[in-house]
Parts: sequence; structure tokens; C-alpha cells
Amino acid sequence: MRRILRWYLPGLPAAIVYMLQSTEYDPKAYLNWLKTAKNITAVAKRRTLDKTPVARMLLLFVRLLIGFVVAIGLLAVWVGESEDAPGAILLGLLAIVGSPFISALGVLVAVWLGQILIIGPKIRRESQIAERIFAAHNGTTIAVAGSYGKTSMKELLRTVLSEGLSVAATPANKNVALAHAQFSKTLTGNEDILVIEYGEGRPGDVKAFAQVTHPDIGVVTGLAPAHLDQYGTLQAAAQDILSVSEFVKPENLYLNNDSTLLNEHIGSVNGVGYSQAGCNDWKVSNVKQSVEGLSFVLTKGKKKLHLKSKLVGGHHVGPLAFAAYLADSLGLTKAQIEAGVAKTEPFEHRMQPYQLNGAWVIDDTYNGNFEGVKAGLRLLAELNAQRKVYVTPGLVDQGDESPKIHEQIGQAIAEANIQQVYLMKNSVTDYIQTGLASAGFNGELQVIDDPLDFYTNLGLQVAAGDIVLMQNDWTDNYS
Amino acid sequence: MKTVAVIFGGRSTEHDVSVITALASVIKPLELSKKVAVEAVFISKDGSWYWGDEFKDINLYQSGKLADALAKKPKAHLDLNGGFTLLKKTKVGGRLQRKHIDVVFPAMHGTHGEDGELMGILQMANVPFVGCGMAASSIAMDKVLSKLIVEQHGIPTPKMQFISKFEYEKNKKTFVKAVNAKLKYPVFVKPAHLGSSIGITRVSDKKDLENALEVALHYDNKVLVEESVPNLIEVTLPIMGNEEVTPALLEQPLLKADDFFDFETKYMQGGKKGKKGGKGARGAQGYSNLPADIPKALYEKAVTTGVSTYKAVGCEGIARIDMLINSKTKEVYFNEINPLPGSLYAHNWQQAGVSNVDLVVKLTELAQQRWEKQRQANTTFSTSYLKQF
Repeated sequence: MRRILRWYLPGLPAAIVYMLQSTEYDPKAYLNWLKTAKNITAVAKRRTLDKTPVARMLLLFVRLLIGFVVAIGLLAVWVGESEDAPGAILLGLLAIVGSPFISALGVLVAVWLGQILIIGPKIRRESQIAERIFAAHNGTTIAVAGSYGKTSMKELLRTVLSEGLSVAATPANKNVALAHAQFSKTLTGNEDILVIEYGEGRPGDVKAFAQVTHPDIGVVTGLAPAHLDQYGTLQAAAQDILSVSEFVKPENLYLNNDSTLLNEHIGSVNGVGYSQAGCNDWKVSNVKQSVEGLSFVLTKGKKKLHLKSKLVGGHHVGPLAFAAYLADSLGLTKAQIEAGVAKTEPFEHRMQPYQLNGAWVIDDTYNGNFEGVKAGLRLLAELNAQRKVYVTPGLVDQGDESPKIHEQIGQAIAEANIQQVYLMKNSVTDYIQTGLASAGFNGELQVIDDPLDFYTNLGLQVAAGDIVLMQNDWTDNYS
Repeated sequence: MKTVAVIFGGRSTEHDVSVITALASVIKPLELSKKVAVEAVFISKDGSWYWGDEFKDINLYQSGKLADALAKKPKAHLDLNGGFTLLKKTKVGGRLQRKHIDVVFPAMHGTHGEDGELMGILQMANVPFVGCGMAASSIAMDKVLSKLIVEQHGIPTPKMQFISKFEYEKNKKTFVKAVNAKLKYPVFVKPAHLGSSIGITRVSDKKDLENALEVALHYDNKVLVEESVPNLIEVTLPIMGNEEVTPALLEQPLLKADDFFDFETKYMQGGKKGKKGGKGARGAQGYSNLPADIPKALYEKAVTTGVSTYKAVGCEGIARIDMLINSKTKEVYFNEINPLPGSLYAHNWQQAGVSNVDLVVKLTELAQQRWEKQRQANTTFSTSYLKQF
């Protein structure tokens, strides 16, 4: 009863628009959240509504729609009373009572119309212009695709190659068609290298991006269960990501051999592999890692590169080796490559270490896939600490595989010799706990009901000698 | 799940500091531990007791509307029969609400709280409580008494003269003469019972002594005049434990040689007296070297002195020992004891490898261990005295 009454609180329109914004205006995800939300006016826990022009417009639309439906309802009641028509009165009352629900669904019509009439044509128009710009550009275009590690790969290619070449790359994690179009407008035409991140989300995305951006080199950073709600199967996701191979020669397609799932789903696609062992005929040796970075030697015959990076985690060795190899292929000197790699550092919320009250915290909350989880746990297992602490809410968007994946996460945690585990309570917590129990986890486990309170007060839970790995993010729409 | 009552506020000049200690360093970490239920017991500046979850919210104290809020709230009462039970009238129907407390966590600073008064009530109630007992708290909070006791244990402490307000008013000149004859300037004039450096004056010139005594006597009815330590390195050592003790890290506040840590520096300027920053850790009391940047042998000597002092005074649970070092002679002097360090000196414990959550959990465990041990000791026995009367 209380759940229904909350629909009549004044915060409803803002909550509806917040939910739309948080689900990136995806009707399916929005409706799913609407269906499961226990307290409709308290859905914004992790952030607040970003009042963009679209959000403001939708907010006005929802308010007007509620007013309109109530007005219609009142009119029907009035007509029903004056004309002695009980049916009209009943309909009117139903409209008044149902106005919040009608508005929550009705707003989707505005979103749909906006996508059909404004966004869709805009993307098509902008993409056509972008396609012409990319086709005419003389620089080498590198497409970075994969379920994970794309932004990291893009940034480290930009950092390393910039030591000797003029490089432009798509900003931050802006990686969809409209972002590519906006990026094309920033180009001067004089760049040597363009690095473009492909943010796949549904079947056909990567192919469409490649048709616009005309890549010369393709990099596939890995495959993991992600966006399975849209792809349905991992095979479908692999097929989309690997479709970049249709646009580049096999010798210009680089594949992360460290990704087990990518290796399993590679099929007949040919390319050059890179991994923690090296890239092409460059071999990795003498890997050293700590919470403050890693170092290794990359050797090809008599050529030797001593590489040091502030990136954290052994899984970065492969991408760094690839970046160094590519830089060498593109004519950068030993000194330039070493200097470029030395400048690579963690990106925000991606294996980003910082100190808190004497403890080391590794923030990997932007990680959203099982491979990343395993890489983080491997790192935690290898590091020396008085106490190892692991924090996760689990992974979103894992589709039907979710129970199995989260049990495996539980097992992986148990095997990483961790003393303290904090799980943010949600629908996958039980699966992780099952995995922990099945692998005989003997550390301390705490399930957290209020993640925001936990993260805000993390400083009270840690001390010198602790290493805390925080992985994954569980946004409000999955709560 | 056991229930811990955190008592804070009180009729002390350090009322506000106590609120911060309780809210930030005790209640929140205890709640995060998920091992105990926490009840907030607030004592207002007029000495009234209140109890409720609303007292866990810092906004209540920062809003400027605390007095109005308190006027509407029922006062809490104590039932000391069979332990420590909180009582208050509920809003609806005035029904009496009761809450039995398993462990008390005093988060009081200064007089009427840290000085043994509260501990006396808790000992009478036979409830486990965190920190030093009544006797150790009383000694620790009396700078004169604590110096006399540690001296008896062979622990060096700067020379002093002390006097009560009553005696001073009768024999002002005699006392000033004695100070001038027996102590070397500069000297510190201190109220005997106040913490947080309130009422303390550094006197370099004889002519300023009387004025400084007046200031100190404004706050307290007993004052001491103490010789300063030349080539001064000020250090402080938090210690935790009952019979077996664990020192944290020796901490060195970053101050100029002629400065001392007054209330303004400690709490109002974030520890930055005349500084625009600086290296070192920023703790509850501002910038400091953590651990103290002194030779190893001197560090260890100071830790030994701190631990000896803790034991000599009979401290239990937690305390912080302040010491003065003459960097030339390498002599370590006892300065004073803080039986409940502000914010529990959690920043120091964190650097020593004890998180704030682990610290408060450990302290509640120590309280229960002490209580269990005391419970086993007989305090009554049968006599025929009454029959013979």
C-alpha cells in the first residue's frame, strides 16, 4: 500500500526523468526499473538528476501530462455528474487516480518521438558528415573494440604514440556514433594517428562504427559477458566486436590473447596476437608489479625496451607491450617509446590507486566485466599486505549467466587469500556468497545495505598495511 | 547483539570536542562494525541527559537550533539497578521507554566526564565501560596529582609549584616568591584539571606571572606553574590495553620551539599555528610528524616512558601520554595524560595499522574483559558485625 501511495508524492516527475536518464533513455531498462522500484520517489541514491535540456523538457512534459490527465478526469467526472452518466464518473476517477502511472508510461511516447524525430535523424545526418571527414583523412585510424579495456587501450595508445606523432583520440569514454561524429569535427586533417573507441551496446554497432570511421588498424581488447541484455548471447557479442576484422587487413588486426573468451569465440578471424608474453616477435620478461605501478622488459633480438608504467595490474602488460610494438612499427625511437610508456598512468576509477588513512585503495569501480574482476583479484593475491580487503556489488548486465558468473566471482575471491570482503547487497549477493562458501572462504564477510554510507566512510574501516580493491559499480537502476 | 551507549557532550569547556569525538570517531565506526547496536546519550551544557538516534546527527549541533530542539525532547533518566538502563518518556502516551545497556563508551572530554565523575557512576552501576577507571581518570585529569605519582615511579617530569585558589588568595606573594626562587623561566602556568590546553599561558618574564595565574585560576581552583623544557621536542603516544598494552605511534606535533599547542591551534586552526601547510600527517590535532622524526633510541626511550606512565597511573582501555624531550640532553619528561584522547587519536591508530572501526570494537572488548575480571573478584563477605551491634 505504501509502495503505491508513494506514486502520489510531489517528487514523482523528477524520479521518472531520473530513471529515464539513468537508463540512457532505454525503454526496456526503464520499464524494468519502474516495475521493480520499491520506493518510486527514492530511486536516486547514487547521484541526482542532471538537469540537461532534454531532462528539463521531459520534466515539463511529465508535469503537464499529469495535469492534463487529472484535468481530463475532472472534466469526465463533471460531465458524468451533469449528464447522470456513472460510467463517465468512473472513468474520470480512474484517470485521476491513475494519472501518475499514465504519466510514467506516457513519457515513453515523448522519448520514442524524440528518438524517431530528433535523435535518429541527427545521428544519421552527423554520421554522414563524419564518414566523409574520416574517409578524406590521411592519418592512420586505429579502431579500439572489445567488451572491456577499450578506454585504457585508447588512452595508452594516445600517450605512447604522442611521444613522436600527432595523435587525436575520442575523449573520455565517449564512444558511440554521435561522439564519433563530434570527434570528427575537431580534427584538423594534420593528425598522424586517430584512435577511436567503439562502444558496442547492441548487434550491428561495431560494423556501423567501422563503416563511418574507416579504420586502418583494429584492436580487440577482449571479450566478456557485457550488454547481454541486448546481445542475448556471448557469441552474438563476439560476432559484433569481431566484425571490425571485415574492415582491416589481418596483419593490421590485433587481438588480446590474454582474453580466454575471445580466444574461444575467435572462429575464423585472423589477426596478430598480443598478451602478457609479448606482441608479435617482441617478448616480455622480468615483470615486476606493485600497488604503485609495474615494469618489464620488451625484447626483440638485440632491441631491448625497459618499460615502466604507473598502471596497476599485470593485465596491463599485454596492452603496454602492444602499444610499444605499434610505436616501434610506426617509427618511434627507443627513448620515445620508454618515455611514452613511463607517462601512462591509471585512469579515473580504473585500477586507480590512492592512499587513505595509511591504506592503499585501488579504485576499479568502472570495471564491469568478469575478466576485469579476475585481473583485479589476481593483482590482490600477488600484492603484499597486512590485510587484503575486497569490495564489490557484483556485475550488472550479465543476463542469464549472472548466477553462474557471480558464483565464479565468489570462488575467485575465496582463492585470492583475502581477509575481509564487503558485498553491496543486491540481487547477485547470494550467488557470490554461494561461491565463497563452496570455495571455503575463511575470511570475514560483511553484506552492506547502504553502499553510499559505506563508501563515504571507507576511511574509518581501513588502516596502514591494508590494501583495498574496490571493483564494479551498481547504479540505481539495478537496485 | 550487544548494546553500547555512547555518552558525550557534558558540562565541560570541551563539550563541542566531545560531540565530534562521539559522532565521528565512536558512534559511526561502531555502527559500521555491525557488531553492536549503538545508543547515543547526549549531555547538554546545563547537564541534562538526553537519549535517542537524533543525537547521532551532526546537523542537530550545527544548526544553531539545538536549544529549541532540546526543549521539545524528553530528558533521559538512569536506572542503576542490575546494571545500566536508560529511561525516557515516549512522545505518544508518555509510556516509559527502557533500554538496557551492555557496555558504556564514554566520549567525554574535560571536567564532569573525563575526570572520573562519570566513571564513578558507571562503576557503581557495575556496567562494563570503555577507558580508564574512576581512580586513573581522576589522577590523569589532575596535572598536579599525576606528576606527583609518576615522580614516585621514577619517571622524570618538569619541576613544578602548585597552589589552590583559596591558598593563592591568602598567600599570593609567598607563592609567587616560591615560584621565582625554585623555578627557572620561562614557565608554563596551567589549570590543574582542564584539557585541550585551555587557560595555559607561557610566561617568559616574572612580571607576567601573576596575570597568567589569574587566567588559570579563572578556569580552575588549582593551578600549577611548571618549568619549560629547553630544546623542546613535544611528543605524544596513544596507548591501548588493560594489563597488556599496545602503543600506537609516537607523534610529534609540528610547532616552533617557543610555541605550544593551545586550544585555538588544536581545534580551531586545524593544528596550523602560524603555518601555511607543511609535511607530515594531518590528524585530529593538525599537522604532525607521524611517526615522530627523532633518533631511534630516543623514540624507544619515549615509548618506554609513555608505557611506564600508563601503567604507573593505572590507565586501562585507552589513554594518550604527552611527553617533552630535551633534544640536547635526550631526557624524556612526562607532561600530562589524556585519559580519553580527542577523536580517540584515530588518525594515529590508523597509521599504526588499527582502523577506526577496529579501534572502537577492540576498546569495547577491553571494557568487557576488565569487567569480567572484576566480576570474579569478591567485594563482599559475611560478618557477625551487625549481630554484635
